[in-house]
Amino acid sequence: MASEPAGAVERLAAALTRLPGIGPKSAERITHFLLTGDRDVAAMLAAALKDVIEKVHPCRECFNLTEGAVCRICSDARRDGSTVCVVETPRDLAMLERAATYRGLYHVLGGRLAPLDNFGPEKLTADALLRRVQRGEIREVILATNPTLEGDGTALYVSNLLANTQVRITRLARGLPSGSTLELANAQMLTDALDGRRAF
Amino acid sequence: MSLEQATALVVRGSDWSESSRIVTLWTREFGRVRALAKGGRRLKSNFEVALDLLTVCNIVFIRKSSGGLDLLTEAQVEERFTNLRTDLPAFYAGCYVAELLSDLTEDYDPHPALFDEALTTLREFGGLGKLTGLRLLSFELTLLGELGYSPALRGCAVCQKPVEAGSFGATAGGVLCPTCRLKERDARPLSPGAWSTLVALQDDPTQWRRELSDRIRTELRQHLGLYVSTRLGRRPRLLPYLTG
Repeated sequence: MASEPAGAVERLAAALTRLPGIGPKSAERITHFLLTGDRDVAAMLAAALKDVIEKVHPCRECFNLTEGAVCRICSDARRDGSTVCVVETPRDLAMLERAATYRGLYHVLGGRLAPLDNFGPEKLTADALLRRVQRGEIREVILATNPTLEGDGTALYVSNLLANTQVRITRLARGLPSGSTLELANAQMLTDALDGRRAF
Repeated sequence: MSLEQATALVVRGSDWSESSRIVTLWTREFGRVRALAKGGRRLKSNFEVALDLLTVCNIVFIRKSSGGLDLLTEAQVEERFTNLRTDLPAFYAGCYVAELLSDLTEDYDPHPALFDEALTTLREFGGLGKLTGLRLLSFELTLLGELGYSPALRGCAVCQKPVEAGSFGATAGGVLCPTCRLKERDARPLSPGAWSTLVALQDDPTQWRRELSDRIRTELRQHLGLYVSTRLGRRPRLLPYLTG
C-alpha cells in the first residue's frame, strides 16, 4: 500500500490527483500555482470548497443539489408541477436546464441501476419519487436516464415501480442529433430514429 | 504487440477519464480481454455505441505483450439485446451472465462454444416470465461444464458411490451419499424434483422449458447460487436480484 504523503504540499498534490481528468503532472502544476501565485486565489478556492461541503446538500423534494431545504427549481412557482423529468445525476439535470426548453420539475435518482458495480435499486431515490407521484399532483413522469443498458434498466425499474399509479410514463426520444447529417450518423442512431419516427 | 480481430461481448465497463473507457470483453477467439478504449466515451469515435454493456461487437485491438491492458482501436456493433431493456428479470439475468463470464474465466482462455451459448441465452431472455430462472440455470450448467466445474449429480461428490437426490454439497461439488453428507458442513437437502431437473439440464441444456413448482425453482436457485459462490470464492453480486 502506498504511504501517505508526508508534507502539506504533497498532500495537496495527492488530493488533486483524485479529481477527474487531473494526473500527477497537472496536480503538481496546480499545487505550485496555488503556492507561488496570488495567495488570495488559494484562499478563495479553499473557502469555496468549504462552503460547498458544508452548505450544499440534496433538495428534500427532487434531490437536486441546493443550499436551501428546497432547490430553486422546486421552489419556482412558474414551473409546471404536473410534469417530472427523472434523471440519473444533478449533472444531467444541469444539461437539460441548459437546453432551456423544459419547464417542468425534476427528480434526481442519484445514479443508475448498475448491479455489477454493487449499485442496486435500494441506492436510488425511486421510493421518494413514488411518494411524490402518490401525492397526486404529477400527471407525467419523463424517464430521462441515459440510453445505455443500465440507463434503460433503471428506467424499467422506475416504470415498474410506478406501474400501479395513474401517472403517464414517457421516455426521452432517441435517434438523429439535430443539425447533423445521415452520413455522419452511426447505425444505432439510424435504427433508433427509424423506430421512433412520427407523423409529419 | 500484435493487431487482433475478434467478435466480443461487452461484459464490464468503467470510465477511465473524461473521454476514455476501460472495458472487459468476452471474445469468441481469445476469451476474456481487458482493454483501454481511448475516446470510448465520445459519441463520434471508432467505437460508436459498441461499448455499452452486453453489446456484441466486432473489435480490433492491439495485444500488449507486457501483460497490461490491451488497446482497443475499433469496435462496431454486431448485435444488441433489446429484450434486456424491456424486462427487468431479463436485465438482471443478463447482468448475471456478464458477471459469470467476466469473473469466472481467465484472460486469454477461449471457449467458443460457451460464447455461442451466452449469445443464445441473451437472445432468449425477455418475456419468459418464470422460465427466465430456468433458462439462466441451463446457461450456468453449460458454463460450469465448459470450465470443468460440472457438479457431480449421479455419484457422491466425495466417495463416488452411486446416489441420486438426498443432499447437495457446494464445497464437495455435487450430490452426497448419506455417509459423506454427515462430514460436509454446507450439505443441504436436495429434493428428487430438483435433482431430476439438474440432471436433465446437465444432459441436455435445451430442456429448460419445464413446468416446475415455485418451491423447486427456489431450491434450484439456492443450490446453484451456493455452488457458483463456492467456485467464484465470493457471492455473485447479481445473486440477490435473481428469481427462481
